[in-house]
Amino acid sequence: MSRVQLDHIAKAYGNGPRVIRDVNLDIQDKEFVVLVGPSGCGKSTLLRMIAGLEAITDGTLLIGDRRVNDVPPNERDIAMVFQNYALYPHMTVYENMAFGLKLRNMPKTEIKDRVTAAARLLEIENLLDRKPKDMSGGQRQRVAIGRAIVRNPQVFLFDEPLSNLDAKLRGQMRIELQKLHRDLQATMIYVTHDQIEAMTLGNRIVVLRNGDVQQFDTPITLYNQPVNRFVAGFIGTPPMNFLPGRLSGTGPLQFQSDQGAVTLDLSQSVHAPALASFRGHAVTLGIRAEHMSPVPVPGRSMPELTVQADAVEHTGNEALTYFHLDDQRFVARLPADLPLTFGQSFRLFWELDKCHFFDAETELAIR
Amino acid sequence: MKKLLPYWLVAPYVVHMLVFVAFPVVFSVVLTFHRWNIISPMEFIGPDNYVRLFKDRLFWQALFNTFRFLLVHIPLQIGIALGLAELLNRTLRGAAFFRAAFFLPVIVSGVVVTILWQQLLSFNSGMLNRLIAGIGLPRVAWLDDPAVAMYSIAIMATWKNVGLYVILFLVGLQTVPPQYYEAADLEGATNWQKFRYITLPMINPTIFTVVVLSTIGGFSLFIEPYIMTEGGPLNSTLSAVMYIYQQAFQYYHMGYSATLGFFFALLILAVVAIQKRYVEQEI
Ligand SMILES: Nc1ncnc2c1ncn2[C@@H]1O[C@H](COP(=O)(O)OP(=O)(O)O)[C@@H](O)[C@H]1O
Ligand SMILES: [Mg+2]
Repeated sequence: MSRVQLDHIAKAYGNGPRVIRDVNLDIQDKEFVVLVGPSGCGKSTLLRMIAGLEAITDGTLLIGDRRVNDVPPNERDIAMVFQNYALYPHMTVYENMAFGLKLRNMPKTEIKDRVTAAARLLEIENLLDRKPKDMSGGQRQRVAIGRAIVRNPQVFLFDEPLSNLDAKLRGQMRIELQKLHRDLQATMIYVTHDQIEAMTLGNRIVVLRNGDVQQFDTPITLYNQPVNRFVAGFIGTPPMNFLPGRLSGTGPLQFQSDQGAVTLDLSQSVHAPALASFRGHAVTLGIRAEHMSPVPVPGRSMPELTVQADAVEHTGNEALTYFHLDDQRFVARLPADLPLTFGQSFRLFWELDKCHFFDAETELAIR
Repeated sequence: MKKLLPYWLVAPYVVHMLVFVAFPVVFSVVLTFHRWNIISPMEFIGPDNYVRLFKDRLFWQALFNTFRFLLVHIPLQIGIALGLAELLNRTLRGAAFFRAAFFLPVIVSGVVVTILWQQLLSFNSGMLNRLIAGIGLPRVAWLDDPAVAMYSIAIMATWKNVGLYVILFLVGLQTVPPQYYEAADLEGATNWQKFRYITLPMINPTIFTVVVLSTIGGFSLFIEPYIMTEGGPLNSTLSAVMYIYQQAFQYYHMGYSATLGFFFALLILAVVAIQKRYVEQEI
């Protein structure tokens, strides 16, 4: 059993402010949980508290139902992979992987078995005699993971393990990490600032901001039902488009953008019931790039807008088309074969039911 | 004119090099085959100086003394310097003060330090012996006992120079990335294990530098015995450099002194080469 529970966890460095305020998470056995958020939001701090490298200022940390606040790192049954790998430069790959086992006075033959098994799993058997400086970034990354595996821990902690790799290798390692998770059947807690990594790896994702948990949910839920404007803007590429405006106070339920570029009739939309109590209030509309299209989908309510392209980015399979509404920058994900160029006006149909609305004051989603 | 400018720019260095390095080296090698007392003209005597060197018991004693000094001085200096650097590397209250305090003796004149220590170690009136006598133990003849004097000097020289090596080690320790220690913490490494398996190998370049610097520094032991003991008692603190000095400037045996110096330089070179072979490791 390696459930990890954080109960009202808080952290302040020295006499400084609290960089983790009040975090409550219940991470299930064998779950792959990703902590994601912008740089400086406290991801590493949280992970290092779980690892035992930082003292916990407040709250209770349970690993496998045992309170471990005051348990030293090596007795927490965890292993951690660092961003810069932290491989010892004076040791070979084998020695690096065997180091922790040697410190535990494990018999030599067992050390050998474990290192060989981990090396086989990671396909680094041919590197065992090399020094870290003679390997590529991807190979070092594998060794760093191998060093964690040999200990056979119940919980793996990763702090941005892929951020030093190039994009292609990163994609490859993502797949391998998923496979590793299936093979090892262990709980994994993974820190990244890259929301794509988070979406592809996590069973569930914790979105952090300034030391507060914004939302803890599955990737699909985060994408479809972000709880607030921050999560909505953070999850998804390109990021969600936002348009500040106001709901009509009387008459038919309408959204009007602040500078009047957009007026939407919402009386028939799925949002109507939830929005009813916000009539007359300032709200922000959010719509993702993929929920706008050049042709209407039959049978759906899709209001039409005419906009002027500021820029078009062709990626081969799609065209990211930029334009302005009021003074907000928008981007739409359009089919690649649309012959659009700079400055051209074109029609866009919005999937009204896929829009999000946020209370302009609290930034919370209105549902 | 333009073409000459580069030569003018390097000229001061080249001149300095020729006058103060190249010429003395070449001249002293030439000297080793001559007899010369500065006043009379040089007289060529072939390998006589070298023959004399190998028969000169006093020179071999001075060499032996120097090695006795090094044997205590180098391990003591490196051990203490590394230990102090380890302590100072922690976020210790007043670390900046101690860093400065340890470095102070390095920049104080060797003559001043030596005179201070001479008083400290004096048999009758020295503070150390008064302390020892105060707790009822017999006084030690720190500088007057042939079996002890050289070691007293070794301790004093260590005190004088250790600050420099503390700073060097401190720099070395600070180049070790903290993640290495964190990774070891996760494995439950003790402080000793972290020191032994991470710190020591990681600061090997610093260790090698310190070993070589303190070896060369130790070989040139001169001021301390010259002022405190004048090489005595019974030549027990006569260092090699001091003997070379005496040959040159007390007896004006310039040729012989040059021979001793030349031989001594080769010896230091050999010792450093051995250290390079056995201390330096690739990381
Ligand atoms: N050792 C430390 N001492 C003081 N403040 C720190 C320390 N480490 C991190 N912080 C602060 O804590 C906050 C969270 O940092 P961190 O957990 O590293 O963020 P992230 O990993 O999400 O980028 C930041 O404001 C950072 O400046
Ligand atoms: Mg971080």
